Amino acid sequence: MKTNRSGPHASFRRAALLAVMLFGSALHGGEVLAVSKASTADHSKFKELQQSFASGPEVTRTCLICHTEAAKQVHATKHWSWEFLNPATDQKLGKKNVINNFCISIPSNYPFCTSCHVGYGWKDANFDFTAEQNVDCLVCHDTTGSYRKLPGLAGHPPYQDTEIPPGSGKFAKAVDLTKVAQKVGRSSRDTCGACHFFGGGGDGVKHGDMDSSLAAPDKELDVHMDATGLDFTCGTCHRTSSHDVPGSRYTPVARDTQGAHIPGRADDSLPATCPACHGQAPHKGGGHAAKLNDHTDVLACQTCHIPRIARGGVATKTSWDWSTAGQMGPDGKPMLKKDEAGRVIYDSKKGDFVLGENLVPEYRWFNGEVTYTLLGDKLDKDAGVTRINRLGGSADDGKSLIWPMKVFVGVQPYDPVNHTLVTPHTAGNDDTAYWKNFGWEKAIKTGMQVSGAPFSGEVDFIRTEMSWPITHMVAPKENAVGCAECHMKGGRLEKVGGVYIPGRDANPLVDLAGWLMAGGALLGALAHGGLRILRRKS
Amino acid sequence: MKTRQLLFTALAAGLIGASFGAAAYDADWKRGRIYYRSVCTACHAAQTGGSIAPSTMTMAQWESYLKADKHAAGKDSLKKYIGKDYRASIRAQNKAADKFADVPDAELLEDVKAFVIKGAKDGDAPASCS
Repeated sequence: MKTNRSGPHASFRRAALLAVMLFGSALHGGEVLAVSKASTADHSKFKELQQSFASGPEVTRTCLICHTEAAKQVHATKHWSWEFLNPATDQKLGKKNVINNFCISIPSNYPFCTSCHVGYGWKDANFDFTAEQNVDCLVCHDTTGSYRKLPGLAGHPPYQDTEIPPGSGKFAKAVDLTKVAQKVGRSSRDTCGACHFFGGGGDGVKHGDMDSSLAAPDKELDVHMDATGLDFTCGTCHRTSSHDVPGSRYTPVARDTQGAHIPGRADDSLPATCPACHGQAPHKGGGHAAKLNDHTDVLACQTCHIPRIARGGVATKTSWDWSTAGQMGPDGKPMLKKDEAGRVIYDSKKGDFVLGENLVPEYRWFNGEVTYTLLGDKLDKDAGVTRINRLGGSADDGKSLIWPMKVFVGVQPYDPVNHTLVTPHTAGNDDTAYWKNFGWEKAIKTGMQVSGAPFSGEVDFIRTEMSWPITHMVAPKENAVGCAECHMKGGRLEKVGGVYIPGRDANPLVDLAGWLMAGGALLGALAHGGLRILRRKS
Repeated sequence: MKTRQLLFTALAAGLIGASFGAAAYDADWKRGRIYYRSVCTACHAAQTGGSIAPSTMTMAQWESYLKADKHAAGKDSLKKYIGKDYRASIRAQNKAADKFADVPDAELLEDVKAFVIKGAKDGDAPASCS
C-alpha cells in the first residue's frame, strides 16, 4: 500500500484532487478574493473576537489589544470631546457648548443626545473622557448595518431587545456585538450617516444637503457618491488622519486658494474642499470654460454645482417654532399632525415645523469666520432676529466667496429677564423633562442648573436664525446652475451685494459709457469703410 | 475499478471544494441594496407604480418569497431578474446592471437576499422607499 501511495498513480490522483478542489472553490470564491484585496485582515479569524461580548466597552478593550493607539487618537478629536476652541474668536464651541434652534442644547439631555457620540456612557457631566474603553469603535467601523445606538442609552447600543419609544410596542433588537466586531471595516456613508444624516432629530432635518438618500445615491443626486459610479465615501474627501476628520463647521475653509493637493507635496494638509482635487481652474478648455473659471474668484464651486438641496426624496426642515409646543389632541394626549405627504408638521413635544424638498439655497458672502451666540450672551428681542451663528464675509475682504446656505429659522425659548438663550431639559422620563410634563419653567430651570447658568424663572420666545453652508449633493455638470439664473433681475443672487452682475445690475454711467464705446466703434468702422471706398475710386 | 474510484474521489473532492467556496461567500448587503433599488425598485416603480420596500415583508416572508422563486404572481422566475442574461439585456440603460454585469448569479442573489432580510419589517434596519 505504501508503495502504491507514493507511486505515479498516487501523484496523479493527488494532482487531480487538488485541481478539482481548486476548481470547485474557484466557482464560488471569486468575490472573496476580490474582497480580500480591499482588506488585509479578516477580523473573524482573530481569536480575541471569537467570543460573546456583554457590552461595547468590552469590544473596545479587545480592539485596543492590537490597535493600541486608536483610542488615544480618538480622544484628541472633536468627535470625542464635542468641544472646540475657535482660535479666531476664543469662543469655546463644540456640541457640548453651542446652542442651536433645533433640539437646542445637550446639557441635561446627555443620555439622548449622546446616542450620536463616538463613546459609551456619557449620561451626565461626570463622563470620563480619559477612559479608553469608552471609545466606540463599532459605530464608525461597522459594515453589517446592524449596529445602532438608541436615544436614552448614553451612547450604548441595545444589549437586549428594547422597546423604543417606551410603551410604543416597537422593539429594537439587541445588537450582536460579536458579529459586528468580526466584520469591522472602513467607515462608510452608512456609518457616518448614522449620525450626520439624522442631525436635528430626524432624517434630513438639519443640514438639507445630507440625509439618508446619500447612503446609496444615484449620479443625479451626487456625482461623487454615485453608488453605481465613483462611489465616494465620506472619507474620500474628508481624508482622515489618525482618526481626525477634516472639515469643520466651526472654522470651515470658505476659500481654498491652493492648487490641487498632490501626494508628496511639502504641504500635507488635507482640506475637504473642491479645489483640493479640482484645482483653481476646474473647467477645462477655452471659451465658455475659461469664462466659468473667471467666476472662481467670486463664487464657491457649490454655488453653481448644487442647484437645489434636499433632492433625494427626503425633506429638510426650514423652520421650527417651539412656542406652539404643548398643545394636546382631543383625547388630552400629545399629538402629531402631518401634511399631505405624511410629514410631521406639528408635534406636541416640539411645536410647528415647515419642511421642504428641492429647495433653492440662499446665497451669502462667506469667509469662513463663524461666531456663535452662546449661553450668557445678551440678546435684544426688539433688535430683530437673533443669529445663532453669524457668518463673516464681504465682497471686499479678499477672503470671501458667495456660498449657498440653508437658512433655518426658529422660535425658541429664552429668558426675558436675563436676556439670554436657555438650555431646556427636554428629553427624559423625569418630572421636569419637557417632553414628559410639558412645563417650560421646570424644564428650563433643570437645564440651566446643569448648564450652570442663571435663570429668572420667566419664559418668553425669541426668533432665531442659523445658517448652514451647503457642500454636499453635487449635481452633474449638466444640471449646474445656468448663467441666466443669476445674470437676471430677480435671479438667485438678487440679494447678494458688493458685486456687479451683468444682467442683474445696471449703472447709468457704466451703461452710458458702454453705449458710447459701442456707438463710437460703429461710427469708427463706418467712417473707416467709407474712406476706403472713397480712396479706392481715386 | 481504480478509474471509477478516482472519479468518485475527484467528484467528492470537487463538491467539497465547491461547498467550501460557497460557505466562504459573504453576502454584500450594500451591493444588494444598489441592485435592489436601481433595478428591482426602479422597474417596479416604472412598470407598476407600486412600492416594493423591503420593510413591507418580514424576514420569514422574504425567505419564503425568495425560496419560491416566483415573480409576477408566478408568471416567471425571480432569479431571472438577477441573472446575467437579464443584466446584459438592460445594462445599456441601467448603470447598476452594467456595474454588476459579471457578478455570478448566485452571489448577486445572496446580496439581494441579505439586503431585503436586513431591511425587512422585523430586520436589523427596516428599509422604506424614501
